[in-house]
Amino acid sequence: MSQIKIVRIHNELLGTYGDQGNAEVLAFRAKFHGITASIVDISFNDTLPTNGDIYLLGGAEDAAQLLSLEALQRDDTLNIAIERGAVVLAVCAGFQIIGKKFWASGKYVDGLGLLDVTSEPGKKRFIGDVKTTSTVLGFELTGFENHVGQTILGPTVEPFGKVSVGHGNGDGKYDGAVQGNIFGTYLHGPILARNPEFADLLLTRATGRKYAQITDPLASRYAEWRRKVIK
Amino acid sequence: MAGEAVMRLKIAIFIAKFAGQLSKTILHKSGETITGRVLLTLYPKAITELAKGRTVICVSGTNGKTSTTKALVEIISQLGSVTTSSSGSNLDRGAASALISKSEYAVLEVDELHLANVIEQTKPKVVLLLNLTRDQLHRMHEVKRVAERWEKAVIAAPDTIFIGDIDDPFVSLALKAAVNKVAISFGGRKHLDGAVCPACGAYLNWIGNNYECSCGLTNRKPDQLFASGSAAYRNAILANETGKLLGAKEIAIVEKRLERSFDRDYKGISAVIRLTKNPASWIEALNSIVGDKAILIVNSQEVDGIDTSWLWDISFAQLASKQVIVCGERSLDIAYRLHVEGIEAEIADNFLSAIDKFEKGSRVYVLAAYTAFFELVN
Repeated sequence: MSQIKIVRIHNELLGTYGDQGNAEVLAFRAKFHGITASIVDISFNDTLPTNGDIYLLGGAEDAAQLLSLEALQRDDTLNIAIERGAVVLAVCAGFQIIGKKFWASGKYVDGLGLLDVTSEPGKKRFIGDVKTTSTVLGFELTGFENHVGQTILGPTVEPFGKVSVGHGNGDGKYDGAVQGNIFGTYLHGPILARNPEFADLLLTRATGRKYAQITDPLASRYAEWRRKVIK
Repeated sequence: MAGEAVMRLKIAIFIAKFAGQLSKTILHKSGETITGRVLLTLYPKAITELAKGRTVICVSGTNGKTSTTKALVEIISQLGSVTTSSSGSNLDRGAASALISKSEYAVLEVDELHLANVIEQTKPKVVLLLNLTRDQLHRMHEVKRVAERWEKAVIAAPDTIFIGDIDDPFVSLALKAAVNKVAISFGGRKHLDGAVCPACGAYLNWIGNNYECSCGLTNRKPDQLFASGSAAYRNAILANETGKLLGAKEIAIVEKRLERSFDRDYKGISAVIRLTKNPASWIEALNSIVGDKAILIVNSQEVDGIDTSWLWDISFAQLASKQVIVCGERSLDIAYRLHVEGIEAEIADNFLSAIDKFEKGSRVYVLAAYTAFFELVN
């Protein structure tokens, strides 16, 4: 496959914390691998395409998060795409949306149930730099968290990363969750800008191909520097 | 106030001024913060007491507070003596410090999150609300959270006149709650955080640059309508309209003065240095660049915002084909953000080595983070 379709879901709602950059980094890294990537922006009133290869959801304020959920509940597209093997990266509010249940605007709501996680309000807001080691990826990830929700993982998902700095899911032990090609995390940055190897992994998962390592000195320098300074 | 209380306040002011003076002479700081802090520690109700008997005007918003406050001071000076907050000192201690000087009028710049508190204590005659957009999210958390605090503050102050730019839905939310208000529109404009109606939580219906929600929140029924223009132009008009409410005459305001920018020569290289602190102000600043040379300084101190994810909220496309040099604590963040957008910037160790890379006689636009801007001013 030399073409992939990146679907950026509800950027006007889920674009408050810079996560829209994940789409740009994916498309940028794809070029190095000889893949032609297109970014498709889907807004609240649009219908989600079923033929996406990577679906992205970002962080949001409560009211925006609820609207995004409402729009995604209109059809079963995301579920169908996942069964086809599509990749999903959901950050912060997006991570909560794809879970079973979460807390927003003073009430619990049912999420999309794509990941076996539930989120509840924490006692305080978790704000600051985060460093985790991802068992899935086998390396360290850095990012920035800014959320009040804490997330509890069910038995069918694995934690995405083990936290060494920050709070992650709220317990200070783990961040995010992963199940097959579905990734949930609290890391902003955007996460793919600060950890470009993770972008490469998502591209591999989306295309089913192994790619040679990319040489992009600036990307490596940036990622290394963040890993070094967050402690 | 009873005689004893007056005495206590006087003593508190005396000690606070002394502390401010010490901070000035020994630490070479402005002294304003210390003065205000000491005063409020010794006399917690100082702001309430000192505000009595004078006409207070507050200015708040994410961007443009300091420069609009300055313009308003000039306008109000036509009417009588004015005291004001020193540049950027906009928390309650800044207000306390400003109010120590006797005057008929006080024009106070107030931080968005502190507005409710300052309104409660100073009982202002007029409050000017400029705008609310995402900024320092590690501190503000959410734009809506700030807007809701404004709304509550407005409801609690039925005797105050609120004036503001309702093209911003968050300002509109606050004004809607006001008994006395002047709603101004500049013909509408897009808002980075305007997807959700802040009044009812519905998906906000935008028709071009204007919004109209089924709950009634709209910018289409302003009390006054002006032509569209830059943020500096809009703030100049808002300052003049605020002055008119108090009986002042309109004055001519040079837009550049409202930009928070200054020119300086560095060994034959002329630099236009502009304060940039969040996505909305970066967009304004990027649009102001003339020519093909720019320096971007990104820091991440508390006032800059400790996270840089927001660099991905905006496009830097207009920097393509320009000579761009980046520096600051987060030079790598901005360099990589530009790299992904196809713009290769050079990374410099600091501002002076950045400016040195340009040829003599060039004119360079410098967009500086909050802390960097004040380092360059001094």
